[in-house]
Amino acid sequence: MLQNIAIGQYVPGQSFLHRADPRSKLLFIILFATLVFLANNAITYAVLIAFTLITALLSRLSLSYILKSLKPVWILILFTVVLHIFITKGGTVYYQWGSFTIEEEGVRQAIFISLRLGLLILISSFLTLTTSPIDLTEGLERLLGPFGRVGVPVHEIALMMSIALRFIPTLMEETDKIIKAQTARGANFSSGSLLRRAKNLIPIAIPLFISAFRRAEELALAMEARGYRGGVGRTRLNKLAFSWRDSCVAVAGVVLLFVIGWWRS
Amino acid sequence: MQITFDKVSHIYGKGTPFERLALQEISLTIPSGSFVGIIGQTGSGKSTLIQHLNGLLSPSSGRIQLGDVEITSSKRMPHVRRRDIGLVFQYPEHQLFEETVAKDVSFGPLNFDLPVEMVESRTRESLEVVGLDYEAIKDRSPFQLSGGQMRRVAIAGVLAMQPKVLVLDEPTAGLDPAGRKAILEGIYRIHREQGLTTLLVTHSMEEAASYADYLLVMADGKVALQGPPREVFEQVDLLKQLSLDVPETVTLVSRMNQSLPDNEHLPHSLYREEELIDHLLKRLSVPKER
Ligand SMILES: Nc1ncnc2c1ncn2[C@@H]1O[C@H](COP(=O)(O)OP(=O)(O)OP(=O)(O)O)[C@@H](O)[C@H]1O
Ligand SMILES: [Mg+2]
Repeated sequence: MLQNIAIGQYVPGQSFLHRADPRSKLLFIILFATLVFLANNAITYAVLIAFTLITALLSRLSLSYILKSLKPVWILILFTVVLHIFITKGGTVYYQWGSFTIEEEGVRQAIFISLRLGLLILISSFLTLTTSPIDLTEGLERLLGPFGRVGVPVHEIALMMSIALRFIPTLMEETDKIIKAQTARGANFSSGSLLRRAKNLIPIAIPLFISAFRRAEELALAMEARGYRGGVGRTRLNKLAFSWRDSCVAVAGVVLLFVIGWWRS
Repeated sequence: MQITFDKVSHIYGKGTPFERLALQEISLTIPSGSFVGIIGQTGSGKSTLIQHLNGLLSPSSGRIQLGDVEITSSKRMPHVRRRDIGLVFQYPEHQLFEETVAKDVSFGPLNFDLPVEMVESRTRESLEVVGLDYEAIKDRSPFQLSGGQMRRVAIAGVLAMQPKVLVLDEPTAGLDPAGRKAILEGIYRIHREQGLTTLLVTHSMEEAASYADYLLVMADGKVALQGPPREVFEQVDLLKQLSLDVPETVTLVSRMNQSLPDNEHLPHSLYREEELIDHLLKRLSVPKER
């Protein structure tokens, strides 16, 4: 039931994107996000869209799967589009029906905002789709490393993130199992009034919380039992290393920066 | 209730990179009233198979007939008919959620709109079937119980719906021998008393041998072997290939037969512990005529 909601879940592979260093991917996404907000006309958006499509090809994942896995996000985007079309006013009036109008500025905003959201979400989903949670947090930890000297608990933050990421699928599975078990006992989650439906969530929420706490406790115990005592002095099994792929990413970033800077109006 | 599977396949995560064929064209018939043992290695598709029985999973292709209800990939199980099929999941204690044991056990029956008085008597009965004292336990919080007691409460929660088909996914995993026996004996008793059709998934050949009158051996999403226990246990080599063992009673009988003269062979139908012991005792006490 729930397997379909796997927003950007890691798909193992050996593509260019999979093998690029997580640090360069993270830095690139920051750059890309900035560029998405700098873009302000048709050409710059076209460049960004083209670039996103190339990225999709480089990930060797099927585009239809990527789009499908982002289904909940499309609904959000659609919602913002509708809001902007109806609420934002200004410019030529395209359509009028009583006091209700669709105006130029609204359509413009709707297009730009949905493009921005869509591009941001797509490009960051490539990060999680092609980077294992372990690599991702290690990349983050290394990037944030300098802040450690001024007292930011970088290792702890990274660890919390990796545990959270690691447990999303587990909790999904658990939720799925509990829903099934309660359904087998006749719980009905898809009918009745709103209040009744909210009440129906109790048989799912309570077992889920209990199992999440139990898991957290077991994990803490297991980590301590294996000698974990924070990041100090901890060595790495697989050291991250930059390769020619990361040079390509860097070049792509610089080129993109100049192109957008040149063509934006 | 008779259960028929007709070329049922199930694919998890269809259309994603995680696609996995968990059941492969399974066909089988379970006659009403039988006690079926389902065995197979971990990952062989046992849990997937039984979740089809009350429509929690729909077949990707094929057809399932449950009594007069038909389920296919497009035809779902009607909600009210779920009551006929009691499904006890692996580690069912994880689904407890109510404040008291009595409330949790009555969750199922109340969902199917049974009158309150009836629910109470059913709650009492089903707790007693799994060997718990109703008066002593009814007002306790399920979360203060021991693991084994929680398991029993959860099983009682399914029994209280008074299903016609009872499906149990490893109900005794992780329990002590006495607890295992108590639970299985309780289940076996109501199986006979109420004429249920029962399916028991288990990793223990001994459990399968003691209760089941029909066995399904699963391997890699297919039914590798099926038949009465006696016939299944004769396929020692095939079972070994599937990393499964025959019960110790069967090993004992064949070892003894190796050293007994042909006309004194023990029959292979003696795979149940009690029957084998009775038989051996009888042989020992009757003085042999020479
Ligand atoms: N929700 C799911 N999503 C994807 N694949 C699954 C899911 N549930 C099970 N599978 C896969 O389907 C196959 C059969 O699993 P199933 O749970 O039916 O095995 P099982 O025989 O019950 O094993 P066990 O004895 O460990 O309980 C396994 O390979 C498993 O990885
Ligand atoms: Mg299982």
